[in-house]
Amino acid sequence: MADPYKPRAPFAPWDRRTLPGIFDVEESARRVGNYKWAEMKLFEVLGGWVATVPELDVKMRLGTHCYKHAWHAELWHKRLPELREMNPDRLTVPANDAMVRFVEAMTEPEAPELTIEKLVGVYRVFIPRFIAAYTYHLNGTSEITDAPTIRSLKFILHDEFEDWRDGEMILQSLIETPEEAARAASHMQKLEAIMIEAGGIAGIGTLGAQ
Amino acid sequence: MRKFFPVEELARDERFNKITMRDRMGDPRTALNVSTDASGKRTNNFRLTPGRRDASDGARGLMHGIFVGEIQALEGAGRTCWDFETDTEAPFALKLDMARQCWDEARHVEISVKLSDWMGSEIGQYAENTVLFEAACSTDPVLRLAGVNRALEGLAIDVFTTMKEFGDLAGDPYLEFCEDWMLADEVTHVKMGSDWLRKITENDPDRRKKALEFQSVVDKLFSYGGTRSDSQESPIGLARRFRELAGFTDDEVADIAEVSMQALNERKSAVAKMREAADQFASSAAAE
Repeated sequence: MADPYKPRAPFAPWDRRTLPGIFDVEESARRVGNYKWAEMKLFEVLGGWVATVPELDVKMRLGTHCYKHAWHAELWHKRLPELREMNPDRLTVPANDAMVRFVEAMTEPEAPELTIEKLVGVYRVFIPRFIAAYTYHLNGTSEITDAPTIRSLKFILHDEFEDWRDGEMILQSLIETPEEAARAASHMQKLEAIMIEAGGIAGIGTLGAQ
Repeated sequence: MRKFFPVEELARDERFNKITMRDRMGDPRTALNVSTDASGKRTNNFRLTPGRRDASDGARGLMHGIFVGEIQALEGAGRTCWDFETDTEAPFALKLDMARQCWDEARHVEISVKLSDWMGSEIGQYAENTVLFEAACSTDPVLRLAGVNRALEGLAIDVFTTMKEFGDLAGDPYLEFCEDWMLADEVTHVKMGSDWLRKITENDPDRRKKALEFQSVVDKLFSYGGTRSDSQESPIGLARRFRELAGFTDDEVADIAEVSMQALNERKSAVAKMREAADQFASSAAAE
């Protein structure tokens, strides 16, 4: 056995984490507040839609995914005080007005014949934006100072990828005709236009571009 | 999407047949149900046991009832996430609990589908009574929790306990295993309801009273004319121990037992009257 009193490097040779990150505490908290607001809106609508979709498999998926996004919101809610925001509600806000309009447009479909529109909004527009925003945060933040956020991001991203795959596969099984494909594309285009205006889950600059 | 979704518009595929409580209780087959043992002898023991002559069909029917009940419980919990504004109408933590319940109920639907298949029945083989979702339509989240989490999920505790015992007695470990898991979730849901009811109405005795009254009405409704009580004449027993774990006080369990017995006695009285009328009709027909 090696001599326990012999000095060892504090970072093992395979531990390549570095200190610098592109977010300070304030910016990180602002983003986390936007994430929480968006995850809340998502879990609420997924829960509300369960009663409106006739397809049994879709009902069960929406119910399952509803909880995952609620849990994400809870993780961000708990992270905010650790980022010096003792009143989490203050930062639990949409990134901008366009994000509010996006959520209103995404949550508008209710009729039982609109399952495609409901799923397109969530799985082809909103969740891909979450994946992008979280990945950018994960890759840009300090690997040492912001480790708690990184841990949550990794858990959450795992869920987001799983849910995106579930939703996309259900959509592929629901879209059976060129007309339905056009419906999906048209709704996606409408929502994407608003999302472009919003700039992403954390607003303009979600992915770094100004 | 609207806030508050009407029960008539619950979305279903074409296999489902929705009926109301009125339809169900108006069905003479419900009121005149006769229990016979395996030898065909008439008995006053209606408890769902493998010894009942109609045990297989009874268990399949109850399983289908659980299945549609789980769908409605999922829909009800989901609507609570959507219908109420966070913090101004319902606390954030309450909505997180409801989202968790959505996941649990979605799993219960999955389990019920697989168990129904295992027991030899199909989706839509029995009618769907939508009374469970009706209890989830209150515009006050506290009343909704009292109706759904304490009354409805409380009934689920009783049903799962009966089905678990049925699986044990029938030598069906698959059924017993699944019911045991679902029972664990239901105790959690009832406890959520009990905890939130106390917390939210801590300084509002009128609101608490109103919620408990609503729960009592729903409890009586869910007693299904004596379907659930301490008596062996009820197919489903009252799971006292699990109810205690879920946060019911002794007095509350005693009240539910009393309401259930009243419902059973009302049903027995109605059946006796119908039998008397049938006998009179038969006598007068024979005399003519």
